[in-house]
Amino acid sequence: MSLDGLDLSILGPAFIAGLLVLATHVPLGQEVLKRGIIFIDLAIAQIAGLGVILAWRFGWEAHGWEVQLAALSAALVGALVLSWMEKKWGQHQEALIGITFILAATASILLLANNPHGGDSLKDLLVGQILWITWGQLLPTALVTGFILGLLFFLCQKLGGIGFYVLFALAVTSSVQLVGVYLVFASLIIPALGSLGRTNALLIGFVIGALGYGSGLIVSSLFDLPSGAVIVWSIAVVALVVAFFKPRG
Amino acid sequence: MFYSKLKKYVFLLALILPFYAHHAQADINVFACEPEWAALTRALGGDHVTVTSATTALQDPHYIQARPSLIARMRRADLLVCTGADLEVGWLPLLLRKSGNNAVQPGQTGYFMAADYVALLEKPAVLDRSLGDIHAAGNPHFHLDPERLLKVSIALAETLAKVDPANQAEYQKNLATFTQQWQQATQEWQQRSQPLRSRRVVVSHNSWVYLESWLGLNQVATLEPKPGIPASSAHLSKVLTSLNQNPADMVLYASYQSDKPARWLTEKTAIPAVALPLSPSADETLFEWFDRLINQLLSVNG
Repeated sequence: MSLDGLDLSILGPAFIAGLLVLATHVPLGQEVLKRGIIFIDLAIAQIAGLGVILAWRFGWEAHGWEVQLAALSAALVGALVLSWMEKKWGQHQEALIGITFILAATASILLLANNPHGGDSLKDLLVGQILWITWGQLLPTALVTGFILGLLFFLCQKLGGIGFYVLFALAVTSSVQLVGVYLVFASLIIPALGSLGRTNALLIGFVIGALGYGSGLIVSSLFDLPSGAVIVWSIAVVALVVAFFKPRG
Repeated sequence: MFYSKLKKYVFLLALILPFYAHHAQADINVFACEPEWAALTRALGGDHVTVTSATTALQDPHYIQARPSLIARMRRADLLVCTGADLEVGWLPLLLRKSGNNAVQPGQTGYFMAADYVALLEKPAVLDRSLGDIHAAGNPHFHLDPERLLKVSIALAETLAKVDPANQAEYQKNLATFTQQWQQATQEWQQRSQPLRSRRVVVSHNSWVYLESWLGLNQVATLEPKPGIPASSAHLSKVLTSLNQNPADMVLYASYQSDKPARWLTEKTAIPAVALPLSPSADETLFEWFDRLINQLLSVNG
């Protein structure tokens, strides 16, 4: 055990990033559970990654906003296709999402067959390293989060199928690069599932997520373990505890 | 009441203090990216340095997972000792930025890149990404060449003296001792490795060019068609055909890598596979590590 990493300036930005991700992902996660399309975030994240690789393939070696643009447009196209498929073959949506995920994943392998550097950027996009986040990176994320939250709460009634998929693509494209796909999946599904059927499910979901991120970061410092993986486990443990103390009736 | 509380705090402090006291002893804290530079810094710095290594011999130095202690250790560092030549480009810049430690940023005295002090092999004339994971500055695995390592040690002793002028004489003395012992050991390794001259080797990743040129090994094939790109079936069958006509003496791979490609080849061709430590293990000196390398090579070519 070591107290070396227990430093607010190291863990602070990571924790705030977690809270920002949770702010949009807990309500979106409840919607995902309701629709029964659990693996949609994996599919969208993978499609966003594919967009980056395609952009590189077409010759614009981009860093910064061009990469974001490529990732986001790919994710949006993917979201529109998924929403169209839901309308057309709704009962098979989960299977179609799964197929979309492996098609996007293997398409990137084929596109990258001759380039290992492209593989690095794909890995960055998918795995993300929450600890490397600095305060400066949090501002754009906060803006995107505020924008999505605004749309979610003001348009929640009018938000149809397409609206949900577009909003989801926007949220996942921004969060997956910040914290990685494992944490995005965990933030989306676990708090939503742990708070299912409660009277104020949204609040309980936020609490589960925040406690998970907080305790995960502390445990990863104390035992010097990779932070992202520890947080996934601590969110799960907190959700289990909360579900265990669910009032009967 | 008050005393019992006080006792509790003193007890807590006693628990925590050893972690800090441990770092307070030495004069400077050194953050090494790879174990070979940690070992070299220990040899030159003696009691005046506390060295930690970001990676172990069993990790690929190209890529590491972010852990809180890495940032904390970088923040405390007075000197950063790494390979350079883009080997750590995937994580070191991020770690440096996140640490906010001005003493070890690029351009500062505390920023030591070993590659700046040696000439690298395989520096590409044209940089073409279609050729695979090629380092623009040249092949960065030069720590496997004793002569280049000696050049780095001279530069590192100078840098240690700049970062910690109070112990300058000590560092120079350590360097003199190290140089003398290293040259003697190099000669001995040269002699012992006579049976290895012009042996034909197959490598899985191109990390052994310096060792090959030092020991006079002859690299006849690589399992990766281009650096960093997994072998395709077409490439493997080409390697296999050429080896059947013209057999090699051994297959080399780094012990942190998967042994699958090497084993596959061994099964097909009966050429023995050797797992070599690309870096020394945590408490090993450079001398012990090179000894181990040579012994392992001799074990299949004795």
